[in-house]
Amino acid sequence: MAIITQQKTAERPAPISETSVLGWLRINLFSSSFNTILTLVMVFIVYLTISGVLAWGYLDATFVADKRRECYDFSLTGACWAGVIAWLDNIFYGRYPREELWRVNMGGLLLILWMIPLWISRVRGKILIGVSVIMFYPFLAGYLFTGGEKSWFMQFMVTGAFLAFFVNMANMLIGLTMNTSMDKFLLRLIGQSEAPDKTQRNILLGLVVLSFVIIFSVQSSWIVDGVSWTKWGGLFLTLVISGIGIASSLPLGIFLALGRRSKLPVVRVLSTGFIEVFRSVPLITVLFMATTMFPLFMPEGFFLNKLVQVIIAVVLFNACYMAEIVRAGLQAIPKGQFEGAHTIGLGYWGTMGLIIMPQALKHMIPNIVGNIIGLLKDTTLVSIIGLFDILGMLRSISKDVPWLGLHKEPLVFGAILFFLICFSMSKYSRHLEAKLSAGNKH
Amino acid sequence: MSEQINTGQLASAATSEQMIEINQMNKWYGDFHVLKDINLTVHKGERFVICGPSGSGKSTLIRCINALEEHQEGDIIVDGIKLGKNLKNLDHIRTEVGMVFQNFNLFPHLTILENLTLGPVWVRKMPKADAIETAMKYLERVKIPEQALKYPGQLSGGQQQRVAIARSLCMSPKIMLFDEPTSALDPEMIKEVLDVMVELADTGMTMIVVTHEMGFAKTIADEVIFMDEGDIVERNKPEAFFGNPEHERTQQFLNQIL
Repeated sequence: MAIITQQKTAERPAPISETSVLGWLRINLFSSSFNTILTLVMVFIVYLTISGVLAWGYLDATFVADKRRECYDFSLTGACWAGVIAWLDNIFYGRYPREELWRVNMGGLLLILWMIPLWISRVRGKILIGVSVIMFYPFLAGYLFTGGEKSWFMQFMVTGAFLAFFVNMANMLIGLTMNTSMDKFLLRLIGQSEAPDKTQRNILLGLVVLSFVIIFSVQSSWIVDGVSWTKWGGLFLTLVISGIGIASSLPLGIFLALGRRSKLPVVRVLSTGFIEVFRSVPLITVLFMATTMFPLFMPEGFFLNKLVQVIIAVVLFNACYMAEIVRAGLQAIPKGQFEGAHTIGLGYWGTMGLIIMPQALKHMIPNIVGNIIGLLKDTTLVSIIGLFDILGMLRSISKDVPWLGLHKEPLVFGAILFFLICFSMSKYSRHLEAKLSAGNKH
Repeated sequence: MSEQINTGQLASAATSEQMIEINQMNKWYGDFHVLKDINLTVHKGERFVICGPSGSGKSTLIRCINALEEHQEGDIIVDGIKLGKNLKNLDHIRTEVGMVFQNFNLFPHLTILENLTLGPVWVRKMPKADAIETAMKYLERVKIPEQALKYPGQLSGGQQQRVAIARSLCMSPKIMLFDEPTSALDPEMIKEVLDVMVELADTGMTMIVVTHEMGFAKTIADEVIFMDEGDIVERNKPEAFFGNPEHERTQQFLNQIL
């Protein structure tokens, strides 16, 4: 055979295994008699599983019944979904008053609407939107969920939340239709786009104050009935605990990680000690400590409700795990990045905030999302200390008289629900990774 | 200690202002004595080239000037400010002294333009539009304005190093330090970086360059310094340095690399 090719070699078609399904099957599933048998056995096992699940869960299942006995009258082998359906409101909202459920739904809807602009590339001012969600949304949602008389502080924050929300929505529409930001649009509308910077700023500030006053006077007459936190439950409670847990444990974790790597001995020792102590204790212990021991150490008359204690415990516990993840991310950043940042004169916070953290967090997205998923699932532990979160609700179905002993179906339903939530989070994290690493390889 | 410099039209300016003054400076890494009794004065507009075998302390020396490394004894005075524990002074000095690294150290998560405008916007508080204008000016000077919106990872090594030089220049530094700027580059890319550096030297920038590119040293250096084991063994004008080195150690070194 010649070593040197004199002429350009012509391209040949790829082998059949690369191009057709049949070829792929033959290579991968039926390449030898042993593999063929294995394939057939596996197909049979898959068939048994799917047909069994289908028969139990759908074909033989009962969807309409008033009590468990009626399910048995219909079919002895099928699932009794009627019990789950009868309890759906409880599973999602706990014992929240039925006529007030719109408030919970509204809270969820507001959050989704608030976040939508973050995913639209044409909308401007994403950082401000993100900040407004964290600063104002919790108060608006908090008021929606708890209701009652508003304190002055609450009035103020609720007004701020409405203002931020409306501006955010208007800004999105303007971004979508006119591809500009809201402040520029407003200034053009009143013919001041050429005015000096200071005038522009004063006009915008005036508009903000004016709309704040208007919204304030409108919202002050808006009062919803008080609902005690003890009525909260189900998926709603799970999402409240884990939502607050996620939103606060990441920032807290970042500061703990920075603290652990700090040059200042006091900061370093305190952060390290805090992380190690909370990480070495099981979550359930932390929860028990927070709800039973913590009040003993407090002065007489001091009272925090159990839900707040639980949330604080979950946040602190999870922040330690976040801190270790962030620290791992920080350690993956080459020393040259710090030096590069120093040579253009950035100080500690500038270096961390602009150069190091964005890279470290990006590297750690899979771990951070993994931790968030873990947190969501861990919050089901609060059912042990007497909060009726989704797991607590699912388990109480079996103690409800008409559905006595109904364990399997509620738990399967809960598993499906958790899978849907966690799987979509993990899918979203993959998407985020792909988006952030586009054109950005080392 | 420092000789009068009469080369080129910059001579008069060069003798007037001291940019860097190092007196009896010592540095240790643990027990290891890296820099021994270093004395060096650099005037405005002077170009120094430092060479020497690896481990001789030449990189450490210029990293000390930028306060990336701490020295334990002696004084380093940069632009009239004494380096020390004072963090405010350090930040100030870093904005006055630009540095280019062997491994570029660009920020991979930012575009070229963002890499260049970050310092001016956040440290110098320059309006963004002005910062972009400055950045484009320097990108044109290093001949890659068309890459402005790409990420560092999409550029060749030579292009990345030119971006790194432009990034330093955007801070309008008074002194530029180069730490083996061409050592990590493929041979055909070394020239494009050296060309940019020669042009920069022609503008009268004060430069200290650690390099083994002897052709480059001959072209731009006012003086060449040879370091070995933490000592400045020899310093001389390029012609004298390469023509008849005084020290035996210098001769050996030059024989090996030329």
